[in-house]
Amino acid sequence: SELVEYFRSQMRENTDVASAVAAIRTLLEFLKRDKGETILGLRENLTKAIDKLTSVDSSVAVSSGGELFLRFISLASLEHPDLSECKKVMIVRGELFLKKISLSRDKVAKLCHTFIKDGAIILTHSYSRVVLRVLEKAAAAKKRFTVFVTESQPDSAGQHMADALRKLNVPVTVILDAAVGYVVEKVDLVIVGAEGVVESGGIINKIGTYQLAVCSKAHNKPFYAVAESFKFVRLFPLNQQDVPDKFKYKADTLKKSNNLAEEHPMIDYTPPSLITLLFTDLGVLTPSAVSDELIKLYL
Amino acid sequence: SELVEYFKSQMHKNTDVASGVAAIRTLLEFLKRDKGETILGLRENLTKAIDKLTSVDSSVAVSSGGELFLRFISLASLEHPDLSECKKVMIVRGELFLKKISLSRDKVAKLCHTFIKDGAIILTHSYSRVVLRVLEKAAAAKKRFTVFVTESQPDAAGQHMADALRKLNVPVTLILDAAVGYVVEKVDLVIVGAEGVVESGGIINKIGTYQLAVCSKAHNKPFYAVAESFKFVRLFPLNQQDVPDKFKYKADTLKKSNNLAEEHPMIDYTPPSLITLLFTDLGVLTPSAVSDELIKLYL
Repeated sequence: SELVEYFRSQMRENTDVASAVAAIRTLLEFLKRDKGETILGLRENLTKAIDKLTSVDSSVAVSSGGELFLRFISLASLEHPDLSECKKVMIVRGELFLKKISLSRDKVAKLCHTFIKDGAIILTHSYSRVVLRVLEKAAAAKKRFTVFVTESQPDSAGQHMADALRKLNVPVTVILDAAVGYVVEKVDLVIVGAEGVVESGGIINKIGTYQLAVCSKAHNKPFYAVAESFKFVRLFPLNQQDVPDKFKYKADTLKKSNNLAEEHPMIDYTPPSLITLLFTDLGVLTPSAVSDELIKLYL
Repeated sequence: SELVEYFKSQMHKNTDVASGVAAIRTLLEFLKRDKGETILGLRENLTKAIDKLTSVDSSVAVSSGGELFLRFISLASLEHPDLSECKKVMIVRGELFLKKISLSRDKVAKLCHTFIKDGAIILTHSYSRVVLRVLEKAAAAKKRFTVFVTESQPDAAGQHMADALRKLNVPVTLILDAAVGYVVEKVDLVIVGAEGVVESGGIINKIGTYQLAVCSKAHNKPFYAVAESFKFVRLFPLNQQDVPDKFKYKADTLKKSNNLAEEHPMIDYTPPSLITLLFTDLGVLTPSAVSDELIKLYL
C-alpha cells in the first residue's frame, strides 16, 4: 500500500538512517494525509499503520519507536475541541519528536567515544550504525584503535561494518562468530549496538550478542551497549524464550514459515547483569537506571 | 612423496577413521619398509616421517598419535643386539598399538552413551566421529533424544554431522555458531569431541568450542568431552595464545599465508574448569585426573 511504499522509499533513500526513524517519518506523513473524522479514529488508524510497518520490518525499534511517537503526539490532543486544530498540534509535536530523535545518534556518540582510550582494541558485533558513529567520532578525535568485528551470520552483516571501518582507515579484522571466545582475551572493551532496550536494562540485539556478553564477563572486559532512547521497549524477558517471536524473525520469515522452530532466530536477549553501561541520548546509564528512564519515557 | 601419498590414500579410503589412526597406520607401514641400518637412524627417520605427516594434516592428534606410537614401539627396542630382531619386535608392538587404538573409539562410546538419558536434548559442536559413535550407541540402546548441532564455520562441518544424524533417524536442528548462547538454556547436556587433550585436562577442539563451554557453565549445563587416549598431548596452554600456531591453522594455510594474524584460527582451547567430565578409553576422567593418565601414557 501507499504507506508501505513510502516507508520502503524512506529506507532506501537514506540507508544511514535508523529503521525506526524512517518509520516515524512515515507515520508523520500518514498523519498529515489522514482523512479521519475523530481523534479516536485517528489513533486507531495510526495504530493500524504501526502494525503494518512492523509487518514490513519486524525489528523491535520500529515497534517501540512507533508507540513512543503515538504517545508523544497524543499528550496534548485533548485540549482542543476542534479536530483540525488537534491535528495541527499533533503534527507540530510529531515534527518535534522526529527532529529530536534524528539528533539522538550523535548525542550517543558524543557520550561514548570518550570511553575509547588511545591504543584500545575493540570488539564489536555485526553491523550497527550507532557503533559506527561512535567509532567515527573517536577516529576524528585522533584516537588510534583497532577493531575486531564478528562476521555475524546468517547475513554477514559484519562484512558491511568492516568495509565501513576500512573507509575510516581503522585497522579492522573480521572474525568468525565461533571465534568470539578465542578473541575476547585480546581485546580491551566490547561495544555493541542494540535493536531494543528492555525494562530490566537488558538489550535485544543481533544473534550472537548474548554469547559475546557471556565471554566478556568471563574475561572481565567492559561490555558497552549503545542505543537511542526510542529503542526502549515495554518488555521484560527473563530468558531467550520470553522474547516474542514477532521480533525474533524477519518479517518475511514470519509470513512464509511453516515451523518457526526450524528458522534461525535473528536476535537474542542479553540480560542486564552482563552489561557494564548503556550509552543513550538520555545519558550514560547503568542497566538498573534504565527502568527509571523507561518509565519516564512512557508516562 | 610415497609416505604422504600412503597417508592421503588411507584418509581417503576410510573417512570414518580418525586422522591420528591413519597417521599411525602410515608410520607402521613406513617402519616396515624402512631401510635404516641403526636403531637411532630408524628413530630419526620415524621422527622425520611424523614431521612430514604433520605438514600434511596439522591436527593435534596426528602429532600426539605419532609421538605416542614412537614411544610405544621403542619401549622394548634395547633388548636385542640384532637390528632385524629389534625391527620385528617394533613392528609387532606397532601392530598391537594400532589394534588397541582402533578399538578405542568404541570403548569411549560404550562409556559415554549411558550418560544420555531418555528424552535428553543434546548440543554438540561441529563434526566429530567420536560423538557420532556415542550417539549411534545411544540410539541403538533405544534412547530418544534430540540434537542441536552448530554449523561450525568456516567449513560448515556441522552440516555433515547433521546429515549423519538424520541417517540415524535422530531429530536434529542445525544452528548458527552465533546462536549457541541462545540455545543453551534449552538443552540438557553438551557433548563435544576433542582434537587434542592437554596436560591440564583442557581440550583443543574446533573453534567455537570455548564459547560453547563458557555459555554451558553460565547455565550450569554439564559439558562432556569425548576423546581417545592417543589425543593426549604434552602441552600446557594457559590461554588461547599459548596454543602453537602449527595446530591453529590448516597445513595449507601455514604454508601459503603471509600473515597468520589475518587467517581464521581453526581451533581453540577450552580450560579444564569448564569441562565436567572427559570420556576416554582409559575411563571416565575428571579434568584433574587427566594429568595423571597423561603422565602414565608418556612414561
